[in-house]
Amino acid sequence: MAEHHPVSDSKHKSSLNSGASYSGNGRSSTAVAERGSNAGAGGGGLSGGLSQPAGWQSLLSFTILFLAWLAGFSSRLFAVIRFESIIHEFDPWFNYRSTHHLTTNGFYEFLNWFDERAWYPLGRIVGGTVYPGLMVTAGLIHYVLNLLHITVHIRDVCVFLAPVFSGLTSISTFLLTKELWNQGAGLLAACFIAIVPGYISRSVAGSFDNEGIAIFALQFTYYLWVKSVKTGSVFWTIGCCLSYFYMVSAWGGYVFIINLIPLHVFVLLLMQRFSRRVYIAYSTFYIIGLVLSMQIPFVGFQPIRTSEHMAAAGVFVLLQVYAFLQYLKDRLTRQEFQTLFFLGVSVAAGVVFLSVIYLTYTGCYAKIHIPIIASVSEHQPTTWVSFFFDLHILVCTFPAGLWFCIKNINDERVFVALYAISAVYFAGVMVRLMLTLTPVVCMLSAVAFSSVFEHYLGDDMKRQSPPAEDSSDEDDRKNAGNLYDKAGKVRKHVSEQEKAEEGLGPNIKSIVTMLMLMLLMMFAVHCTWVTSNAYSSPSVVLASYNHDGSRNILDDFREAYYWLRQNTDEHARVMSWWDYGYQIAGMANRTTLVDNNTWNNSHIALVGKAMSSNETAAYEIMRSLDVDYVLIIFGGVIGYSGDDINKFLWMVRIAEGEHPRDIRESDYFTPQGEFRVDKAGSPTLLNCLMYKMSYYRFGEMQLDFRTPPGFDRTRNAEIGNKDIKLKHLEEAFTSEHWLVRIYKVKKLENRDRVEHKLRSTDATKQKYTTKKVSWDFKHWTV
Amino acid sequence: MPLYPVESEGNNLLSEKVDQMMEWSSRRSVVRMNGDKFRRFVKAPPRNYSVIVMFTALQPQRQCSVCRQANEEYQVLANSWRYSSAFSNKLFFTVVDYDEGADVFQQLNMNSAPTFMHFPAKGKPKRADTFDLQRIGFASEQLAKWIADRTDVQIRVFRPPNYSGTIALALLVSLVGGLLYLRRNNLEFIYNKTGWAMAALCVVFAMTSGQMWNHIRGPPYAHKNPQNGQVSYIHGSSQAQFVAESHIILLLNAAITMGMVLLNEAATSKGDVGKRRIICLVGLGLVVFFFSFLLSIFRSKYHGYPYSFLIK
Repeated sequence: MAEHHPVSDSKHKSSLNSGASYSGNGRSSTAVAERGSNAGAGGGGLSGGLSQPAGWQSLLSFTILFLAWLAGFSSRLFAVIRFESIIHEFDPWFNYRSTHHLTTNGFYEFLNWFDERAWYPLGRIVGGTVYPGLMVTAGLIHYVLNLLHITVHIRDVCVFLAPVFSGLTSISTFLLTKELWNQGAGLLAACFIAIVPGYISRSVAGSFDNEGIAIFALQFTYYLWVKSVKTGSVFWTIGCCLSYFYMVSAWGGYVFIINLIPLHVFVLLLMQRFSRRVYIAYSTFYIIGLVLSMQIPFVGFQPIRTSEHMAAAGVFVLLQVYAFLQYLKDRLTRQEFQTLFFLGVSVAAGVVFLSVIYLTYTGCYAKIHIPIIASVSEHQPTTWVSFFFDLHILVCTFPAGLWFCIKNINDERVFVALYAISAVYFAGVMVRLMLTLTPVVCMLSAVAFSSVFEHYLGDDMKRQSPPAEDSSDEDDRKNAGNLYDKAGKVRKHVSEQEKAEEGLGPNIKSIVTMLMLMLLMMFAVHCTWVTSNAYSSPSVVLASYNHDGSRNILDDFREAYYWLRQNTDEHARVMSWWDYGYQIAGMANRTTLVDNNTWNNSHIALVGKAMSSNETAAYEIMRSLDVDYVLIIFGGVIGYSGDDINKFLWMVRIAEGEHPRDIRESDYFTPQGEFRVDKAGSPTLLNCLMYKMSYYRFGEMQLDFRTPPGFDRTRNAEIGNKDIKLKHLEEAFTSEHWLVRIYKVKKLENRDRVEHKLRSTDATKQKYTTKKVSWDFKHWTV
Repeated sequence: MPLYPVESEGNNLLSEKVDQMMEWSSRRSVVRMNGDKFRRFVKAPPRNYSVIVMFTALQPQRQCSVCRQANEEYQVLANSWRYSSAFSNKLFFTVVDYDEGADVFQQLNMNSAPTFMHFPAKGKPKRADTFDLQRIGFASEQLAKWIADRTDVQIRVFRPPNYSGTIALALLVSLVGGLLYLRRNNLEFIYNKTGWAMAALCVVFAMTSGQMWNHIRGPPYAHKNPQNGQVSYIHGSSQAQFVAESHIILLLNAAITMGMVLLNEAATSKGDVGKRRIICLVGLGLVVFFFSFLLSIFRSKYHGYPYSFLIK
């Protein structure tokens, strides 16, 4: 690991530097295009393009994109190098399990898969409740590789899928930015998105999740859309539809596309930028995209039923009406009437559009207050720290890019402005939607940086020397010292000459360039640090560091899951909190009651109720659910803070939502309103099932000579109930560091034990009766 | 023989009290009480009804803003009960103001307001009959839950719909419409790109500085240390922020963006070279200085972050 860090670091730097410095050079060609469109001074620009072989440009783009891909790929490998090639987290385990099912049983079997191992006793229809794009992609790659006799295990395909797709994302970001601004900005954007933490957080090696491939599909769809709006050709639109279809099959976030594109068209209409290109693009996209998206079983008829798709339909109708009016306008002369009519229609459509947005917004907002949704940390609103953490310098500079885009507006820049505003709004509402914001931030920051480099990296002195000269003073000034500078410089001189009669002077220019490059370098360093420290822990395997820096691997989770796999009946049912459902199903291959697909709140509440009731009440619930084993996570020994006792209040809250009569949150607090596990804790807490299972026999254990026995390191407290007796459960397994504890639920006893003591009478007080009884006994026994 | 009239007297007294309470609460959903009334109708037996009492201090000179908010919630709840179909003489909502019944406060050893108490039909109020305001808050839904818990009376809270948002929107729309109509001959300003760009940037800055978080979570403006009176504007943890902090961040982000724009302006605009140089340097200074400032704030919040630039 120690040697990996600098390696990937330098890769970032090199790729960034090259991208940055190149953008300055690539500018001249695009400046030509711009000047041409301005029809102002189009004279000398051509000579720049002619004197320079076009091959250089494509070779450089190719190299930079390749390096960006490589940098993006390798910076996502921290977890694999530190630990091993392993699937991370929770959701990826389900994806992996279904991909495995797909590759072993075939596609149709996968579509019809009814998983009886989940949500016992309900089961889950997997084929119809899943976005299959991810599994099919991984399965297809696996199939092709095997066809070529490259025998790779499906797990490795799954682990490395997201890093590979990150390269495709940077290429599609490059293409999109190139359409929006120029090639230099495109290359810069590709470098940014390759290493930006906001995207890495969802696409490190091993995080086999929908988002990993969906961001590629998102960017590629937008690229093709912009392309089709620009050209008005059905070919590009069909490509856009296919890419949209892939996106629909991959991620629920496709709703973002099907709202953003109509919004773009709508705003274009309002801006009176309606053209035949827009009409062709949107009409084709809407019809074919609609039909294609309905082919995904999970989506089904939603696109014509639910409110979040209505905006697209409304804009489609509006567009037809508008086009019809345009047609009439050519025939009729009563222009005033038509303008009025247009205004009326557009206002009505706008009201409908806004109310739909409002409804979806309030719908989302209401959902946040359901405890099970509120309990998931990624559904929280976003603080500025998260923005800065995930985007660093980009978050401060992308508004500048947005400014440039709006100041030089055209059809496709309307699109990127809308994309930025809507994405930034959604990212503010919910942390996880930072992911959709990241690409547009990269693109717009690239625009900002590229336009700065465009003006400052170049040399504006009027030069008499021939363009091919590689003057040494320039190399001194541009301390970057990489070869790409020289390659592009040649063209620049020529195109620069007419433009800058009076420059800012080389000193200022080089200072600006150096400081900007320094900021970008800091960005690269920040990205690497964040990736390494925050986003590369698999959470299935934990690592702890000793004082001397050596590392301990805590592999308790896999140890426990493997124990379950080997030592329990194949059809045993394991109860645990829903976080661990997918992992149990994936690694232990046992039936679970609830899992991370939290579709059934009442079932989860029942498990929560069992965990938070006392043992007798919990036993009844567990009997009714046929539970054989209970699995809990306990971090008190090693100080792991994500354990079940820390999540316990959410279990209580969710249980209270469904069973307010039996479970009350206030019972689990001390009179002062504190949640504590020591002697002062509330008696309900100290006797509930979760507490008993977590701390069973923990009171006998002294971890450290400085602390009393039964000292919980996570909560820094000596536990309040050390003498725990379990009646209906018995300890079956506890992992090495006590991280996972598994209990077996006993069967009903053959004979009911009597709860109370056998009846006895007081011998001292009632002499006569005692005698009589004893006599009676004698009499009978003898 | 002597027992009978006493009991009937008690019955009479009880029905009289109930009638009186019903009459009051039919007039106003929350019955105002002074010391005498409180002792007669709430404290003294016989009773067959539960009473919820809010002890509060609503007089303006008391300056209890919490009391006023709590009072609003309480009124919402009392009205929901008063106009619900389940309304009966089993439960009454009353209020005792400190300035009308200070003796009651002394009698109950009460030294903070607002406090909600439940006086059950039988027996004395227990510990759980005092509403735990500190922990649960005083939303009327929470109060209703507590009442359901204590008295078995379920109240569905019905909030009067809030039209203020709709009215504000309608006003805004009509204002904009009116403005457009007045200036219908000169609609150039709609095509003003700078205006639109400004509006877009405002949205972006508001979101990236976490105003949505403020809106949902409602943090304090800044934190004043009660010991030494020091005011801190930056929250110490990376999980939270103050309103003041988000405003600072908003300004920093805006400054950096402005720096970038100025850098670009300096290079593209035509004019005096000296002026352009100054613009360029100002822009660069804005970007570099404010970015390092932003980085240092981030560093102070995100413990263990190793990098800084210019400013520690």
